[in-house]
Amino acid sequence: MALILTRWRRGLASALSLKRWRSGLVSLLLLMPGLASFFGLFFYPMLVTVVRSFRPEGESQGWTLANYVGFLGQASARQVIVLTFGLAIACTFLSVVLSVPLTLLLRTKLPGHRLFRLTILIPMTVPSLVGALGLLLFYGSRGWLNLFLTQTLGIVREPVPINYTLAGLIVFYLWHYFSYTAVTTLSTVEGLDPAFEEAARVLGASPWQVLRHIVLPLIMPGVLAGSVLTFMAAFGAFSIPLITGGSYRPLAVQIFKQIEVFTPGHWSAASAMAVVMALLQLGFLTLYMRLLRRRTA
Amino acid sequence: MTTLKQYLRALFDAKKLLAYTFLLCFFLWVTTPFLMIALKSVGRNWFGKLWVPPELTLDWYQWAITVANIPEVLKNSLIIAALAVTMATVIAIPTGWALGRRHIPGKELLTSIILLPRMIPPIAYALGVAQIFYRLHLIDTHIGVAIAHVAICAPYAILVLSSTFEGLDERVLEAASVCGANSMRTFFHVTLPLVMPGILSSLIFTFTTSYNEFTLTLMTYGPKTVTLPVRTYLAVGEGYWEVTSALSMLLIVPSLAVLYLIQRQVQPEKLVGGFKGV
Repeated sequence: MALILTRWRRGLASALSLKRWRSGLVSLLLLMPGLASFFGLFFYPMLVTVVRSFRPEGESQGWTLANYVGFLGQASARQVIVLTFGLAIACTFLSVVLSVPLTLLLRTKLPGHRLFRLTILIPMTVPSLVGALGLLLFYGSRGWLNLFLTQTLGIVREPVPINYTLAGLIVFYLWHYFSYTAVTTLSTVEGLDPAFEEAARVLGASPWQVLRHIVLPLIMPGVLAGSVLTFMAAFGAFSIPLITGGSYRPLAVQIFKQIEVFTPGHWSAASAMAVVMALLQLGFLTLYMRLLRRRTA
Repeated sequence: MTTLKQYLRALFDAKKLLAYTFLLCFFLWVTTPFLMIALKSVGRNWFGKLWVPPELTLDWYQWAITVANIPEVLKNSLIIAALAVTMATVIAIPTGWALGRRHIPGKELLTSIILLPRMIPPIAYALGVAQIFYRLHLIDTHIGVAIAHVAICAPYAILVLSSTFEGLDERVLEAASVCGANSMRTFFHVTLPLVMPGILSSLIFTFTTSYNEFTLTLMTYGPKTVTLPVRTYLAVGEGYWEVTSALSMLLIVPSLAVLYLIQRQVQPEKLVGGFKGV
């Protein structure tokens, strides 16, 4: 709305000069394909989802709030939302904990750092389903991790159950989504001016003090901005929990189940849940960004 | 004095050792799942407490090709990805140019609007896309699935290309025209070579996104347009882990090529950048 208004106002103001008007027209024409794909492939489908969420189940007319009441009224709804948030936040936190030491090490350009850089990108480029399959094999009761624990180390007798547990799911999430945090952290860390640390060291700070009082405060804004990407990916995660979640079903999986399990699918209920999910994600993003801005400002 | 020196060196080595242990653990944590998939796909009778399969076989690959119909599925995947990449690039080049090089009021707002599809969970608009496509009979057609992929691919492409075009130095173009090159010549000999890496990286990213896309495909596919990720999902449901592993190995190969290209051609942070101004 604001966009249309500004364009209209600008159009009015620049109508006085033909040249500027023409340049504006060219800009608009150039923007057209992008805007068309946005409205056609995102805005309109989203609108269809929203409208559908207010329709009674299985009908194309009439308005009702029953789908929202039906979903939010259940006791399980709160559990699902808490689970989705919990998984996303745990994964985001752990990705920061993993990325900071990792990138600080890679920054020193120690031999073989190229290989480890490439490793960071693997979970991003490989199809998530393949990753999920590999993780299920690796952490399974006959997987290498359990063989290592039971046979090589001999700490435990019985294989530790990891697949389809909450802790396991968090590890899977971390594996899939830490890349976003790590890549942005790496670029932040490499953009850090070594002069700050040198100055602190010259002034007699210990390596720990340099890390605690110079490096971490300087890179934290970049790290947290990167972690937003991990949070969004983890909150919207669909293929990973679909395959590896077992009985733990975050929002995206629950939505899909509404369509898959029932014939004909519960499209209205699914749409209502999708709208709730989109609003939650947008709300959380706004909150996170505002907090971030206040901290960095 | 020498003992102190030795002690310090040992301490330094210990630190280095610790660093390498950490990095090695990280490396193994990321890569061993693939090693297990690779072994599973060529192993037979791999049960119980064995580290490696006792017998090797290529049967599972044969199964994957004949039973899971891999050539057909691969063809679908590649056709859809090619269509999606073409459409996304055609959309992104003018839009990226406008956002990167032209003076547009409300540019920040516009950029965040175009990036909005990346901030909403795909399942939310995938539901709408599916309903619209049912009405338009686009379900289970290559072009339909590809159009659905564009919803996600286009923002990526616009993001990468607008930052590429923005980085194009005005002075170089001016220098070309000062040296007497006409606009055609400037475009083909100066502008195009300069933006080629950016366009290439946009192609790589959109291809990977489409090739790996699962959510939107799941909502719009049909028997004639099964792609590799969907096939893997179905195979996991069917429960033949060996065949699924063989399938996955085939699915990984293009991704590794892309990984290599990314490392060579592109700064990876470009892939995730552009979010600081949300």
